[in-house]
Amino acid sequence: MTLFIQQLINGLALGGIYCLAAIGLTLVFGVLGFPNLAHGALFMVGGYVTYTLLVDVGLPYVVAIVCAALILAVIGVVFERLIFHPLRHAPHTHHMIATVGVMFFLISLVQEIWGTGFLRMESPFDGRMTVAGAQISTQRIIIVITAMVVLIALTLFLKRSVHGQSIEAIEQDRTGAALVGINANVVSMMTFAVSFALVAISAGLVAPIQLLSPGMGESLSLIVFAIIILGGLGSLPGAIIGGFFIAMAEVMASTYISVGAGQAAVFIVLMAVLAIKPTGIFGTVVQR
Amino acid sequence: MMTISDLSVGYGAGDVLHSVDITAAAGELTVILGANGSGKSTLFRTVSGLIRSSSGRVEFDGEDVTRSRSAAIVRRGLAHCPEGRHLFPRMSVEKNLMLGAYVGRRDRARVRTLLERTYELFPALQDKSHQSAGSLSGGQQQMVAIGRALMSDPKMLILDEPSMGLAPLITQQVFDAIVGINQEGIGVMLAEQNARSALKIATSGYVLAEGRVVLSGAAADLADNPAVQQAYLGV
Ligand SMILES: Nc1ncnc2c1ncn2[C@@H]1O[C@H](COP(=O)(O)OP(=O)(O)OP(=O)(O)O)[C@@H](O)[C@H]1O
Ligand SMILES: [Mg+2]
Repeated sequence: MTLFIQQLINGLALGGIYCLAAIGLTLVFGVLGFPNLAHGALFMVGGYVTYTLLVDVGLPYVVAIVCAALILAVIGVVFERLIFHPLRHAPHTHHMIATVGVMFFLISLVQEIWGTGFLRMESPFDGRMTVAGAQISTQRIIIVITAMVVLIALTLFLKRSVHGQSIEAIEQDRTGAALVGINANVVSMMTFAVSFALVAISAGLVAPIQLLSPGMGESLSLIVFAIIILGGLGSLPGAIIGGFFIAMAEVMASTYISVGAGQAAVFIVLMAVLAIKPTGIFGTVVQR
Repeated sequence: MMTISDLSVGYGAGDVLHSVDITAAAGELTVILGANGSGKSTLFRTVSGLIRSSSGRVEFDGEDVTRSRSAAIVRRGLAHCPEGRHLFPRMSVEKNLMLGAYVGRRDRARVRTLLERTYELFPALQDKSHQSAGSLSGGQQQMVAIGRALMSDPKMLILDEPSMGLAPLITQQVFDAIVGINQEGIGVMLAEQNARSALKIATSGYVLAEGRVVLSGAAADLADNPAVQQAYLGV
């Protein structure tokens, strides 16, 4: 039972990480209509930026994450202007190819700046807590709490604020959005900023329990794509539910079956859901 | 209020509108008639900044808006209720309407008044205000689309085939609403297949054929014109 509670909290922590990363990806997909294949690489950049702010600059952990999120948001706006805006009339394959270019660029950049080896980021909260008899590392509790706070703030932003509504409006009908006076350029910059900030937060949260390496984005990328496909491309609740669902499946399968089964569980769940509902849990059929 | 001069527009491969001249006076109801593919929607899309003209000029409310963005045009007071409605289908009716007031959102009191006006004009929407727009009937969706355009507090409203696909009874309701809107002093530019009803409520009209204005004049004269009667009124 204590093992179960421990794994439940591990699953929640992992789910929080996955959710934040997946929402960033699904937002860009919803607004721009293409998958950002560099999302995993941005996760890695977010991790390294947090590391530098924490270790080299010496900022407190939470401040370092917030600053990393802001830096990534700015990078998001720059990328949108420099790379995706000029491609706006091009077919979506061009965007996808551009995102692959961005991915290679970022990986090389990180290797240049921080080297190719592993880096360890110590958790500033390295203690343990006892929850219902189970020993849980404080960092995992921090992850769960932060992820919840960010998820709630984000949902309020998207559903209540006029800027969030303008993102949703563009997702649902571009022409309609233009006609009420929403500027698609502004929304597209904002979406990139939010997406990159979220992936930075998720990387900053996970960094203390994982090692940093230039390849750290790759496995995340695969899982996050599985999550947004599972939840329905472009769907916010889909990304949230999909994120926790996949994380739980992964954690429970690797605890109770085998470590390898954890990885496999992700894709078994994905295939099972797609077999029943090919558009994903919350997917609507979108033809572009 | 709106002066379109020598306007030509295309979608890449050649123009589909050729040197069109149209004027619509403030507060009047101007109808644009034309067969399918004659260029009515293209004209409207250009005027509201969704697509760019290849040459010519659009003036609205004393200002050259030919190169303006859609957002700037709505802000100047020209609202466009497009063909096919283009609602936000998974948002509630009320959210659709509130987004219609996007450019004027800072004036909360005004937005409230506009929302009340919309519900007065289309009482059916009040009961459905929390349902998603995509779940409504075609007629109700058209009402949301017109209401959303009105929420920007326009001086002139463009309506692109608002009766498309609606039952005769609903069409009549929509036309009554259009007359009501016009009587409030809002200019209306209306594209319609339903030429008879449109000419009845219009002040003046233009007939487009293959991207050119082939006839224009007072609505009553157009209704009596043998060419119009033969082509659009089935006489
Ligand atoms: N997006 C587009 N791309 C290319 N050509 C287009 C596009 N939209 C319209 N056209 C062409 O422009 C011409 C005018 O079309 P438009 O939609 O403006 O006509 P319309 O008068 O609104 O017709 P309808 O009564 O069917 O709505 C047509 O020949 C059409 O094929
Ligand atoms: Mg049309």
